[in-house]
Amino acid sequence: MKSVHGLGVALALMTLPACSGVGGGGSGFGISNYTLIRARETSVGNGSLRVTPPREWNRQRGQLFVDIREVEDWTQNGPLLDGISFVTGLKSGDTLVRQTRRDDRQVPKFRSNMTAPEITAMLESLFRVRGGTVDFKTLGLAPRPFLGQAGFQFDYEHLDSDEVWRRGRAVGATVDGRLYLILLDAARAHYFDSTLPDFEAITFSARKVR
Amino acid sequence: MSCGQVSNGLDRRTLLAAGGVLAAAGATGVASARILPSAMVPLIGPGYRPVDADERGMWQQMTRVEEEIAGSNLVVQDPALASYMQGLIAKVGGPAAKDFRIYLVRIPDFNAVMFPTGFAVIFTGLLLRMRNEAQLTGVIAHEAAHFLRKHQIRQYRDTRTKSDVFAVLAMSAGIAGGAAGVNTGDLAQLGQLGTILSLLRYNRVLEAEADAMGVRLLAEAGYDPRAMAETWQQLIAEEKLSAKYRRKRRRRDISLFGTHPTPESRMADLRISAAEVTRPGVFYDARRASYLAAIGKIRPTLLDDQVKLNDPGASQYIVNNLAQDGWNGLLRFHEGEIWRLRNRAGDDVRAAQGYASAVLYPDAPADAWRWHGIMLSKAGRRTEARAALSRYLMMAPNAPDAAFVRQMLVS
Repeated sequence: MKSVHGLGVALALMTLPACSGVGGGGSGFGISNYTLIRARETSVGNGSLRVTPPREWNRQRGQLFVDIREVEDWTQNGPLLDGISFVTGLKSGDTLVRQTRRDDRQVPKFRSNMTAPEITAMLESLFRVRGGTVDFKTLGLAPRPFLGQAGFQFDYEHLDSDEVWRRGRAVGATVDGRLYLILLDAARAHYFDSTLPDFEAITFSARKVR
Repeated sequence: MSCGQVSNGLDRRTLLAAGGVLAAAGATGVASARILPSAMVPLIGPGYRPVDADERGMWQQMTRVEEEIAGSNLVVQDPALASYMQGLIAKVGGPAAKDFRIYLVRIPDFNAVMFPTGFAVIFTGLLLRMRNEAQLTGVIAHEAAHFLRKHQIRQYRDTRTKSDVFAVLAMSAGIAGGAAGVNTGDLAQLGQLGTILSLLRYNRVLEAEADAMGVRLLAEAGYDPRAMAETWQQLIAEEKLSAKYRRKRRRRDISLFGTHPTPESRMADLRISAAEVTRPGVFYDARRASYLAAIGKIRPTLLDDQVKLNDPGASQYIVNNLAQDGWNGLLRFHEGEIWRLRNRAGDDVRAAQGYASAVLYPDAPADAWRWHGIMLSKAGRRTEARAALSRYLMMAPNAPDAAFVRQMLVS
């Protein structure tokens, strides 16, 4: 989950002084950090989830040592402005990002017996620990079916250390002990509203394939 | 009390750096004389303005930085708290009492920094860690002393005369960045403002001066001057416990300049200085009640901001330290939160116990009832879970997760 805010922004801010091309396209070696996602059914994360976006999106390349196989990030206008992250079957005992045992501040581990409030608290800590979030407000937590299971919808907003308010929605469920989740996180001004319809369409289209 | 190592105040993370210096000083037998509080007279008067070109230039740039900070949405908007802190700096601000400005920023780290033009930035993480008004005022007095002793310009000149071209270059770059409004939460991490802060790190003598003068200002204002040494002690202990939980040693990287006093030696000097400025027969107060009255409303938020960082050693130290003044429902609740987030084998039981004991206190927050209910429900104790969750909904009928909790009640 490198996404805005998971990691995208944190990393972008860290590299800010070094390279001015924040969120910019290429790596400088002719290899793009993004690949095009067509508006048709596509498989995400580790391949266990398929979704159909209503228009084209950009997939961010996973970062070695940071991103895990089960997480994939998309963006429309760059990770500082908007992003959709997919969590595809996170195992019990794993975390949403790679981290070392010795980090002072850690993203909590997922456990298969977690209730929705525990999963959303784990997301909140992800933002605070890895995204530079200084203020985080839960706007809503309600039941919502996902992948045919009893899942949840989590709405929230957060103020980050770059002084931007961002807003997010996560829809998720634990299926066979593994966490499946789709999360939209975008600048509260304009970008959240403009990507929410895509997020909803993608979430409705999601199906588990194995 | 700032500047430990660094820049600004007692940055918890950089404090460590001093550990290495301790070892070095021990090995070479180098000891520096303690600076006497009585020798610390202010070098400026009321309404001070810069006199020479160097300083005028610095003030001009810092005015822009202050405008940026004042307009930042990281500044906590709480007029009552702001005026309380303004009142504290007025008490220990010596001749410049009326010239200081204080900004409280929402960053969960232990830090405070005085800028060269007399405005201070205090992090919310510092407020969380202070047990009483004397401790907070001690930090503020230390920061005020930097200004009263003209440390910023003295350090700047010192740096420049050493032809430390890099430092000077970095400084201008930093100020430009700060003025451009680039901020990130962890001010230490933050590229641009971070550069400014790193410029504001003082050498060992200046730090010792600020400590000595801070102790004196604190005692003169009627506070217990031992509060400053207590603050140091708390910081060192917090670092140790944080490192221990992650199964590592307290960090021992040598500081950039290698000239800073160690936390241990600073603490020792502060204790001696405190004894020196204490006058027999005078009653010195820690003023805990007025501190709690001022920060009580935001304390739940401060605890939340810290505990959710999932740094269990540091958080547990902070909770236990505050609980020295008495356990309550809020602290017990956060004790449960620490274990729930740490989430190792057996932590779920510890968390459940924390919530169960939190709800025994009359001041237990609504969230304590919610988590108590969730833990009971996971343990299969459905009737009790239902009662706890109902209590939560009664206390917080408009809670954002009410819809989810209601569903838990019916299922």
